[in-house]
Amino acid sequence: MYNLQLSPEQLEIRDTVRDFVAWEVKPLALRPERLEARMRLMLTDALDKASQLGLRTLALSEDAGGAGADTLTSCIVTEELALGDPDVAAVLAQTSMLAHALFDLLMTPEQRARFLPSFLVDDRHHLALADHEPDRDAALGIHYHRPERGEAGVKTTAVRAGDAWIINGVKDRVANAPLAKLFAVEVSSGANGASLLLVPRDTPGLSVRESDRGGHFHHGACGELAFKACRVPVENLVGAEGESPLAGDAARDLPQDSALNLGIGRAAYEAALAYAQLRVQGGRRIIEHQAIGTKLAEVAVRLEVARAAIWQAAWACDHPEAFADRSLRDLPLTRIAKVFASEAIYHATKDAAECFGAMGVMRDMPLQKYVHDALVCLHSGTSNSDAKLRIAEALAGYRRPANAAALAAE
Amino acid sequence: MDFTLSNEQRSWQMTARKFAEEEIRSISLERDEISDPSETFDWEIIKKGSRLGFRTMAVPKEWGGHGTDFVTQALVMAELAKADSAISKTFSQCWKWSHLIAATCTDEQKRRFLQPFLEDDTYLLGKGISEPSAGSDNRLPPADDPKAGLKLRAERQGDDWILNGEKCFIANASVGKLFFIDARTDPNAPLKQGTTMFLVPRDTPGFRIGKVFNKSGWRFYQNGEMIFENARVPHANVVGPVNGSDMKTQQAGDRTGGDLFGDLELAANALGVCDDACGMALRLARTKKQGRRLLFEQQVVQLKLNRMHLLTEALRSFVMRVAWEHDHKVHSANPGLCMNFSTDVIQEVSEINLDLHADAGVMDPRADKLVRDAIIWSHLAGDSVQRMKATRRLQ
Repeated sequence: MYNLQLSPEQLEIRDTVRDFVAWEVKPLALRPERLEARMRLMLTDALDKASQLGLRTLALSEDAGGAGADTLTSCIVTEELALGDPDVAAVLAQTSMLAHALFDLLMTPEQRARFLPSFLVDDRHHLALADHEPDRDAALGIHYHRPERGEAGVKTTAVRAGDAWIINGVKDRVANAPLAKLFAVEVSSGANGASLLLVPRDTPGLSVRESDRGGHFHHGACGELAFKACRVPVENLVGAEGESPLAGDAARDLPQDSALNLGIGRAAYEAALAYAQLRVQGGRRIIEHQAIGTKLAEVAVRLEVARAAIWQAAWACDHPEAFADRSLRDLPLTRIAKVFASEAIYHATKDAAECFGAMGVMRDMPLQKYVHDALVCLHSGTSNSDAKLRIAEALAGYRRPANAAALAAE
Repeated sequence: MDFTLSNEQRSWQMTARKFAEEEIRSISLERDEISDPSETFDWEIIKKGSRLGFRTMAVPKEWGGHGTDFVTQALVMAELAKADSAISKTFSQCWKWSHLIAATCTDEQKRRFLQPFLEDDTYLLGKGISEPSAGSDNRLPPADDPKAGLKLRAERQGDDWILNGEKCFIANASVGKLFFIDARTDPNAPLKQGTTMFLVPRDTPGFRIGKVFNKSGWRFYQNGEMIFENARVPHANVVGPVNGSDMKTQQAGDRTGGDLFGDLELAANALGVCDDACGMALRLARTKKQGRRLLFEQQVVQLKLNRMHLLTEALRSFVMRVAWEHDHKVHSANPGLCMNFSTDVIQEVSEINLDLHADAGVMDPRADKLVRDAIIWSHLAGDSVQRMKATRRLQ
């Protein structure tokens, strides 16, 4: 049953994270050097403390040593973290999501035994998925409502040599790359589809380069991986050869991404609301002016409706049976939430910043950063233009042959 | 109706276009990226532009200026802004206040201040109104709170006035040589009846410039703090009557000693930025391929280009109409409405441009810069307040 009453556990974890952010993250995130959008250093201390709170292993099952949080709980946590710092939120969300996917769902018991213990004990052990390559044309505009042409295959190769795979190629836009100690890498091994290989960071032949923020829009830390005759044991294959379980968009464009966006919007909203109750112009607090009151109301409307869409998408991920019994329409709810939330929240952060007058564009104040961060969300992941085309395909019941599995996961 | 430009207007436009393309564009991004806000300014571009007349073009011919009409001024602002919005604004900020000098100063004041302004390529002008606790209150003074508004105090002492207080966000503060300063001369009267305007040269004793504000957009443009500690200004520097600062809008009216020109100024500047964004987007769509086909072939791309161009052309029509109305002394709410419209248009157009680039996987720092510059429109001109102010002209 669709139920928006949070469980006592969910409320408790939300409050814990909220306190943690207020005391440990926000003060660091508001330091002047962090307010510059272009170059900001990762808050590694905050990441360490968040790991000690269990947020790095949030979605990992309790059996495996995590908190076993579902998608909705992960969204609640990510929103709270992003209220303080979107980079910290992005890194933790990625590691937590991949920990659940890899350790709980995809690895063999033998693989788990090899990789899980070191992951659990090390607060700085993060995970990354390398599934993007330079010059990959992902734009749907060129094959909307048509089968994809076969040219978009994976170019990074893995060749079998005895009891090892030899990997060659380049991956880019890899979220968490600068921090990750274990990579799941999509490769072409000669089979029809892509295969997934586990590559520890210290494997000879693998080099990692952190990418700057001018390369593409992203929160968190991103990087490029170069493989030169990089050798991993045969046993590092995840799933069957040619059947990467994380192919397509299965691990991209999650409700957590929109929850992160929502946290940014809320940071702007909370700042504007506080300021509007302090600042006096026109003989009264500015919130008492219709112009500002209406603006703040619109910000609140956008954020609340965005949250409803995001939570519905998250709940649907946790309750796939709700599609089967027709409680939910068979639509890509995560995409729908992302398109709405990213546009609404960008608008909301701009309105919130406007309440600050000239201070809203000053780099030593956080409002311009919130606007920038919301703009980054608007343009990260699958573009909204593409997302709308995919939603349209879904409305028409169009099933893309190559991506049928991915669509089901949306 | 005749939209043809005169030869003189065309000639100014072409000179501005050439200067913008050859000189401004090449330094635009580099200046934007400098992280210290007091280091972004470049005197060479000001001197070069000044020699072409872009600093002094609004000064009337009888006082040795170029006496260009408002249509010409709008054309030049747009051309310069197409290469860099903030650099265009630095020049036009001088026009705004040379309009004011021409409209309100005595002949003696004109001789003292207009003459050096005309002769010195580095002589920039500014005006100080905003203060930390008085922004919107100066633009739209509340009827029920006569104490609201600026607090900078000026007290008469013999032949001088002694100024004490602070200003903030003042344009050209750190680079200007002469400022028009609004100060409270009767603290018991409401803003409009208790404020006097003073001409304050940069080297006035007791007057200094504080920090330059670190803005996310318009980084070349210098918005600074002003500090007055017993600053001594001669009575001869009072502009208009004591307690009559408001005369600039009442009497100047269609001569636009600040207010109305300021609306046209922002709208014309926005038009230049929109032209730049449209140009960038169209170039991208005509050259970038996805899956061996030009972006231009995609319907989604066509619709975005359509939106950008229809908004930009509508803004152009409105800007040129307002400029023409200024030249023909037509009073209306149009300048304010046009400026409000330009805020919406510059933001939507620059955002679609960034969107097209991001969708195509192209990170163009200039697309990002245009969005940051565009957001300034909602902040430095007090957006909701300016909208209500324009509406009140309809009453």
